[in-house]
Amino acid sequence: MTRTGRTIVALAILTAALTVTACSPSSSSDDSPGTGDDVTLTVWSWRVEDQAAYDKIFDAYEATHPGVTVEFKPFKATEYNKILATGLAGSDGPDVPQVRSYGQLQATVASGALVPLDGKVDLSGWDENVVESAKGKEDGKVYSVPLATQTVQMFYNQGLFEKNGIAAPTTWEQFIAANDKLLAAGVTPIAVGAKDDWTLPIVHEVLAAPRFGGKAFRDAVTSGSASFTDPNWVASVQVLKDVEKYLPKNPTGVAVTDAQTLFSAEKAAMIPGGSFDLAVLQKANPAVKIGVFQVPPAPGSPSGSEATTAGWADGNFAVSAKSKHPNEATELVKWMSTKEFGQKVADEVKQLSAVPGVEYSDPLLKQMADNYANAGSPYLLLTDFRYGSPSGTELLGKGIQELLLGSKDAATVSADLDTGVKTWFTPVA
Amino acid sequence: MRRRTGLLFATPALLLFAVFVLYPMVTAFSYAFFHWQGTTRGEFAGTANFETLFTRAPFTTDLPRALLHNVLFFAGTMLFQNTIGLSIAALLHARHRSRRLLQTLYAMPYLVSPIVIGYLWTLLLSPTFGPVNTLLTSIGLEEWALPWLGDPTTALWVVILVSVWQWIGFPVLLYGAALGGVPEELTEAARVDGASHRQTFFRITLPLLIPAIGTVTVLTFIFAMEAFALPYAFGGSTGNPAGATDFVSLLFYRTAFDSGATDAIGSSSALATLLFVIIFGGAFAATAVLRRHERRITA
Repeated sequence: MTRTGRTIVALAILTAALTVTACSPSSSSDDSPGTGDDVTLTVWSWRVEDQAAYDKIFDAYEATHPGVTVEFKPFKATEYNKILATGLAGSDGPDVPQVRSYGQLQATVASGALVPLDGKVDLSGWDENVVESAKGKEDGKVYSVPLATQTVQMFYNQGLFEKNGIAAPTTWEQFIAANDKLLAAGVTPIAVGAKDDWTLPIVHEVLAAPRFGGKAFRDAVTSGSASFTDPNWVASVQVLKDVEKYLPKNPTGVAVTDAQTLFSAEKAAMIPGGSFDLAVLQKANPAVKIGVFQVPPAPGSPSGSEATTAGWADGNFAVSAKSKHPNEATELVKWMSTKEFGQKVADEVKQLSAVPGVEYSDPLLKQMADNYANAGSPYLLLTDFRYGSPSGTELLGKGIQELLLGSKDAATVSADLDTGVKTWFTPVA
Repeated sequence: MRRRTGLLFATPALLLFAVFVLYPMVTAFSYAFFHWQGTTRGEFAGTANFETLFTRAPFTTDLPRALLHNVLFFAGTMLFQNTIGLSIAALLHARHRSRRLLQTLYAMPYLVSPIVIGYLWTLLLSPTFGPVNTLLTSIGLEEWALPWLGDPTTALWVVILVSVWQWIGFPVLLYGAALGGVPEELTEAARVDGASHRQTFFRITLPLLIPAIGTVTVLTFIFAMEAFALPYAFGGSTGNPAGATDFVSLLFYRTAFDSGATDAIGSSSALATLLFVIIFGGAFAATAVLRRHERRITA
C-alpha cells in the first residue's frame, strides 16, 4: 500500500519542480558566425502585426547600405520580456533588440546587456519626456532610441454627438451637459472597461490630468515638494467616482474589449484610450466617424492648469552588448533617430513617431501629435513610477477598482498609492 | 547482478530527469540566495530575498491574500468537485451500459485549454453582452444578474466553480476505478444482512475508498496550490478586480516578468522556492496521514 504514498510524493516533487523551473533563465548557444564581408543584423520586436511594415522599412535601409541585411524577427508580445532576457544573456540573441521604456528598461540595463549610445546618437531637440524613456536610471546614460510616442485622449463618435446636438466640449460644464444628454438618449456616455486594472490609470489621466495639475504636479512630486496625498491629486481621483454614473453599469465587470465593443457598436459615445487604440477602433467599425478631444479641466483645478494630452515613449530600439557587429548595429540605430525613419514609422507602422518634425497624413494621428506637441504632459505614473515594485500604475489601477466598488474612498486610494511607491521611490530635488 | 541490470535500464530516464528537472530545479533554488541586477548574478544574499517576501510591499499585502485564495480554491474544490465527483462516480457505477460513455462526457471539458475555458466563461458572464445575465433578466430574475467577474465577492467563486466544472471528470474517473476495486461480496453480504443502500455506501464502500480519497485530496492540493492558467484567463496577471482572483503563481509571474524591479529574479525565485516548500510539505504531511489510515484498513 505504501506504493500509492510514494507515487504521490514523487508526483508532488515533479509538479512543484516544474513550477520552479519556469523561472530559470537559461542560455543556449547556437550561433552562426558572420560570413565574409556581408553583415546580417537581427532586429527583435514584440510587434508581430508590424512585420510587413518593418520589412518595407528595412528594405529601404538595405538599399542605401550595401552589404548589410536587416532581419526583422518579431515574437509574441506577452512572452517577449522572457524571450528577450534569455536572448540577451545567451550568445544567439539579437543585434538590435526592441526594448521597453522607462522603469521597465532598467532590468535590461542593469544586466549590462545594452551598449550606451551617448555620443553615438543625437537626441537633442527631442521631447524631454521621450528621451527620459531611453535612459538608465542609475547612470543617466542613453541606452536606446525611442520609436514611438503614445498619447492618451478621449475618442468620440462624431455621428452620435451630432445626432444629440453635441459638439466636442471645451469646458467641464459642456462635458457634463454632453454626458447628461447622452444618458437621457439611452447611450452609455463613456465606455470604460474597469475590469482590466491597467486601463484605469489611463482613464484617470484622460479625465482628470488637469485636476491634479498635469506636468506641474509631476515636477513637484518627482522633486519631493508634493506627494500623492496632495488635495489636488485626491480630488483628481475623486473625479472618476463623480463620473461613475456615465460609465457602463457595474464597470468593474466590464472588460476593455467589452468597452471597445460598446463604442464600436455605437452603444457608447466616448472612450478614453491611447493612440495605439485608434487602429483597433477604426477597424472594428469603419462606419463610425471617430473624433478626438482633450477633456477640459474639472472645477477646482489648480490655476493655470489646462486641458492636456498625456504621453510617453514606447518601443525603443537598442544595441546588444553581445552583438558581433556593434558598428553596423549602432549605424542602424543611429538611422532610427533620423526624420527619414520617423516618417516611415508614421506612414508604414501608423504610429506617432518619437522623432520630432514628422508629418502625418491621417488627420486623427495629426491631431493627437499636435495636441501632445502643444499641450503635452508625461503620463506620470508610467514615466516616473515604474522604476520599482509595486509600480504606480499597478497601485492606482487596483485603487480605482476599489473606489468604483465603493470599498475605498479617493483619499485612501491616494494614500495607498503614496505609501506603496514610497517603499522604493526617492524624490530627486 | 539483477539490480545492476535494472539500474542500467533506468539510466536513460534518470539522465533525462537529472538534466531537465533536477538541474534546473537546483539552479532555481540557488538563484533565491543571490542578489540580482537584471539577469546578472551578484553577491551571495543569504536569506535576504526570503525576508523581502515578508517585509516589503507589495508582498506584505499580496502574498497572504494570494495564499488565502489558494487555500479557498483547495477547500472549494474539495467541497464541490470531489463530493459531486464521488456522487457521480457512485451513480455511474450502477449503470453498466452507459458508464463508459458518460465518463468520457464528464471528462470532456478538461481536454480544452484552461485559457480557452476562461475566455469562454468571461464572454458568457459579461454583464454587457453575456447570455447568462440576459437569460436571468428575461426570466424575471433580474436581481440575480450580477457582475459575476466584476464583484470581488463573486469573482473568486466563479473561478473556483468553473474550475470544478472543468475538472469534474477527474474525480469521476479516479473514484470510478476505485469503486470497481471494492469487492462485491462485501456489499452483497451487507445487503443480505438487511443494510440499506445508504448504510452500505457509508459503512462499507466509503471506508474502503479512503485510499482513493486520500490520493484525490493530495492531487487536488497540488493542483490548487499551483493554480495559474484559469485565474490568469479570468483576471489577468493582477487578479482583477482589485486582487480578488490573485493566486501565488500569479504573484510569482508578476514579480518575475512584469515588475520594473531589477532584483526580480532573486525575489521571484524565493517565492517559487516558498511555494515548492508549501506544496511539498503539504503533500508530504497529507501522505503520512493517509498512510496511517491505509494501515488501519489493511490491518
